[in-house]
Amino acid sequence: MIKNKKILFIIILAVVALTLGACTGRRVVATGWSGITVNEETVYFSYGPHAYALNLNNGAQQWQFPAEPINGVDFYAAPVLADDYSQLLVAGYDSVLYSVNPVNGSKIWSFVAAENRYIAPPLATEDRIFAANSDNSLYALDYDGLLQWEFETEDPLWASPILSENCNCIYQASMDHYLYAINPENGKLVWKSEDLGGPIVNNPSLSEDGLILLATFNNEVIALNEESQQVEWRFQTSDWAWATPVIDGDQVYASDISGTFYTLDLHSGELLWQVQPGGGIYSSPLVQDGMVYFSTDTSSLVVISQEGVVQRNQPVEGKLYASPVGAEDKILLAPSEAEYFLVALSESGVQVWGYPPPK
Amino acid sequence: MWDAFITLMITSLLFIYNLIGQNFGWAIIIFTVVVRLVTYPLTAKQMKSSKAMQDFQSSKEFLDMQKKYKNDKEGLAQKQMELYKEKGISPFGSCLPLLVQFPIIIGLYQAIIRTLAVTPIQLVNLSKHINDGANLIPINSQFWWMELSEPERLPILGVAVPVLAILVLITSYIQTKMVTPPTSPGAEPAQGAQMTQAMTLYMPFFMGYLAMTFASGLALYFIATNLATIAQYVITGQANFKNILPKLPNFSQLGKQ
Repeated sequence: MIKNKKILFIIILAVVALTLGACTGRRVVATGWSGITVNEETVYFSYGPHAYALNLNNGAQQWQFPAEPINGVDFYAAPVLADDYSQLLVAGYDSVLYSVNPVNGSKIWSFVAAENRYIAPPLATEDRIFAANSDNSLYALDYDGLLQWEFETEDPLWASPILSENCNCIYQASMDHYLYAINPENGKLVWKSEDLGGPIVNNPSLSEDGLILLATFNNEVIALNEESQQVEWRFQTSDWAWATPVIDGDQVYASDISGTFYTLDLHSGELLWQVQPGGGIYSSPLVQDGMVYFSTDTSSLVVISQEGVVQRNQPVEGKLYASPVGAEDKILLAPSEAEYFLVALSESGVQVWGYPPPK
Repeated sequence: MWDAFITLMITSLLFIYNLIGQNFGWAIIIFTVVVRLVTYPLTAKQMKSSKAMQDFQSSKEFLDMQKKYKNDKEGLAQKQMELYKEKGISPFGSCLPLLVQFPIIIGLYQAIIRTLAVTPIQLVNLSKHINDGANLIPINSQFWWMELSEPERLPILGVAVPVLAILVLITSYIQTKMVTPPTSPGAEPAQGAQMTQAMTLYMPFFMGYLAMTFASGLALYFIATNLATIAQYVITGQANFKNILPKLPNFSQLGKQ
């Protein structure tokens, strides 16, 4: 009787430990979503303990990095190719930025000075790498992995930096509500926006005529003028605007996490049309061959015409947080919590191949 | 149901966090005190049961019964249960309220992790629990030397010391010892008391292990809740300080032998 009670007690403790363990996000469940990069015949993507290189035509794995999983090391940011394609930059949740040989996945160097997760993919320019980290800092490195400068903001950086040729500066959006324009040579602040009202977790997009478009958690899409550095227009969304707005001619595609997809006029911010097919939207749409593809967290890929007519609402196994990526005549999707890490669909929605997690 | 419970906890945590100037460490501590006050009826029941058990186990009736059934364990157990029933004492009265607190611990831990939201999926989950409050994001997860979303280690002379886990172990030990009824000398502990003794032994190590392994926000909760329990016992005059120190052998007796 007493022995049974002791066993019962130990079982209760074990259940508590397992229950707590299940929500730590270590090894058990994914804590981010996959980023995808395509170069000619190769697809690079990160998910969980590895970054992978696959053959675009058939989904066959070419390599994985690291070869064996390392405890506490996860990757979710999209791998990024160096300007001359000689290095693949893989940013980890272990606060390390790795440079990997894109041909065979062997490590070239690693940068270990950051103190927190890399959520965003780095930006690779002709002579520099710019990597934003959750430790609030943007790091500029050369292609030997040596630190050139560091720029600090008030809050974590989840957004990728982008390069503007108009101002010859780097734009870095921060969770501290500000957009920073930074000199890429020395890391000095060029200008800083007004308080944009809410955290920004994704990179801005730039129009050819100098508008910077941002999505904020203050339920807004905001257009800033690069030259005047002032707000040109604001558009109110019905919930947090998470995904980077995408510019398509004179239209802007934006979305919010309650699942509303908006099309706005680029110059005025006026609403042209909106659809709400169901499910939250966390990523930017893909515009390909006159169609707009976007994914929702309720497992569907929505295809609409540029005039806002829903063509298809295609169920896909798993949660679709990541942006669909176009590659030749295929649409690549990286579902979370699904049988496949990566799925290639034809433009008509037929699955061409699926990449299952390695055993 | 569980989601609604977590939402309530997250909303309360964020309310306190905002109220006190966006310090998540203090928000956890204050929230713990509030939870202790809300669950005080359970604690009071636990304290009452412990006291009743303590009184009963030191009574002549109990000691006589133990002598009488010295060689008959089944008979002793049966008689004990009869007496518990007769006197309205539950042998698990002191540990059941403790077990009831496990969902609160798990709920609080999930609330802490979801609120800190240091990864995109965690932030997606948090967004489903809060209607407003985007301006509170990102939550300031630094508290003294700790990053509350990560297991805590303090570098001391080049060694990463799990200070919080050690404090959890010590306060859990003091708390469980303080609330454990003493066993009368020579008396055979009752089954319920044996269960409690087992918990006294394992619980501090188990709590220390959790504190060392999981986010330090949970360890902070453990310390705050242990200190609050100790304070409750001290204030109500039911703290059993004699139990805290390990019993040393009687050296004068040993010398005579």
